[in-house]
Amino acid sequence: MATASETTLVTTRNESGTKWWTRFLDPSEGTLAALLLLPTALLLTLIIVYPVCRLIWTSFQNLSLTSGLPASFAGLENYSLMLDDPVFWETTWNTVLITLITVPGALLVGLALALMANLPFNVKWPVRLSLLIPWALPLSFAGLIFAWFFHSEYGVVNDVLRRIGFEGVIWFNSANWAFAAICLTIIWKTSSFMALIILAGLQTIPRSLYEAADVDGAGRLRQFFEITLPLLKPAIVVALIFRTITALQTFDIPFTMTRGGPGTSTATLAMYIHQNTVDFLDLGYGSALAVVMFVLSMGVTAVYLRMIRARG
Amino acid sequence: MSHETTANNRSIFSGKPLRILIGFILVVNGMFPALWILFTSLKTESELTLKPITWLPHAPTVANYLRAFTDQPLLLFLFNSFMVAILSTALTLFVSVLAAYALARLQIRGRDLILSAIIAVSTFPLVTLLVPLFEIMRALGLLNTWVALILPYTVLSLPVCTLILVSFFEGIPRDLENSAMIDGCTRIGALFKVVVPLSAPGVFTAGILAFVNAWDEFLLALSFNSNPMLRTLPVGITLYQGEFAFPWPVISAALVVGIVPVAVLIVIFQERVVSGLTSGGIKG
Repeated sequence: MATASETTLVTTRNESGTKWWTRFLDPSEGTLAALLLLPTALLLTLIIVYPVCRLIWTSFQNLSLTSGLPASFAGLENYSLMLDDPVFWETTWNTVLITLITVPGALLVGLALALMANLPFNVKWPVRLSLLIPWALPLSFAGLIFAWFFHSEYGVVNDVLRRIGFEGVIWFNSANWAFAAICLTIIWKTSSFMALIILAGLQTIPRSLYEAADVDGAGRLRQFFEITLPLLKPAIVVALIFRTITALQTFDIPFTMTRGGPGTSTATLAMYIHQNTVDFLDLGYGSALAVVMFVLSMGVTAVYLRMIRARG
Repeated sequence: MSHETTANNRSIFSGKPLRILIGFILVVNGMFPALWILFTSLKTESELTLKPITWLPHAPTVANYLRAFTDQPLLLFLFNSFMVAILSTALTLFVSVLAAYALARLQIRGRDLILSAIIAVSTFPLVTLLVPLFEIMRALGLLNTWVALILPYTVLSLPVCTLILVSFFEGIPRDLENSAMIDGCTRIGALFKVVVPLSAPGVFTAGILAFVNAWDEFLLALSFNSNPMLRTLPVGITLYQGEFAFPWPVISAALVVGIVPVAVLIVIFQERVVSGLTSGGIKG
């Protein structure tokens, strides 16, 4: 029976004029598209879709690898624990504060860098490289280098402060100074990416607009606010959204500079998730924390997608 | 008045000395941290504890570099970083070439939806998946292997690489592809023999971005590989503990060793990198 039906199949294919293997190598457009998108779909399922489902499920479970107990349903226990956990609130507040300080900070510094880099330099590569190197430097390297910059005894920052007549600051012993050092480092590290995006935007603004404004007698400042800034808006908005989302995930720089100290005063939500997951192996609680961050950044992404749609 | 007044050559900044000063500020801002760590790495331990501190090294020495390679398995960290970055770059390129071709050339229902999904993934906070990815890698027995990092890194770079490649593929004339197919090439054959070679600059740009993303990643590398022999460079250097205080001379030498490969890549391909970043900018 089986052999008979197989034979029929083969005959039909031969009658339609194509051999089975050419059909396999040259499938219809729809099949081909599905085949080509299959690896992407598999990867996204394994690394994003399935883990997201599992994350939400685990956040309602008691699952601590140190207890040795099997997972059990916990309902909202992890979430209610979280609301009563001062470290959760502290790390979330630190994360929000870092976002509110470093995103506008990087935008302003990045805008200044871009305007400066847009001048007609005879040799362009040193300027381009000095915007690219901070971008390419790993965040963790930037954290280590700036930790050395802010070293209380041998750091270059205190050296300069002393030379111009100030006292040196013991940066990492005080919550506020440590936080300031972290924010400065993040702004330095991320402003060059902002500058690159804004610079690309600047270079698309037609010169004729400025020439026309000159003819109309508009001053430089007015030209900046009425030509440059409005035309840069799309580039700036995209850069701001990416920066906001990465700021919410801040981990590398505080981890390498202070390990969250003194105490937990400079720890971020990402660091607290990492600590609960990898150090305490409390997967249930770590998941509940992660759900909070997930919701925060999905909110930003939703705004982003809506703007892309609106622009067409 | 002057016809040289243009968008690029405007305003109070057009005087030459001022322009040189501004260029200097830009270069110092970008290069000083890396240069400072280079100076530190060349100083002797006794010079580093002088007060006030010295700026340029008085008696440059490579002793810190020798110690960086002998006190810790720095060469192994380099090797781990390099292999993870190169393998995830290769996988990212392969997967995103296929997807980008489908999105750029084939009639697909829901194409816009797929593109939106890919953009949404590009903003996805991988940190939040630390727990489930940790569990999945543990269940698959992949903790303490390169694969535990290669798969997430591939997903990290997949969106930006796909978007870059879609725009490059859309710029290749269909006629070239069609004539290859008339000559007996299959569609897949035409993709790899015509479309990909003609899009080489795009493939290259995407590859560099994927490499840098993987080379820089810290959190997953820190979390998934507890075996010190499998540490990547950023993790290995950060977790390096000296006998007494944090060993800054050795650390700075190790940092220079870690900066050089990417710096070389950036110096050679700076224009490509800029075009890739600004077309599908992704990380901060």
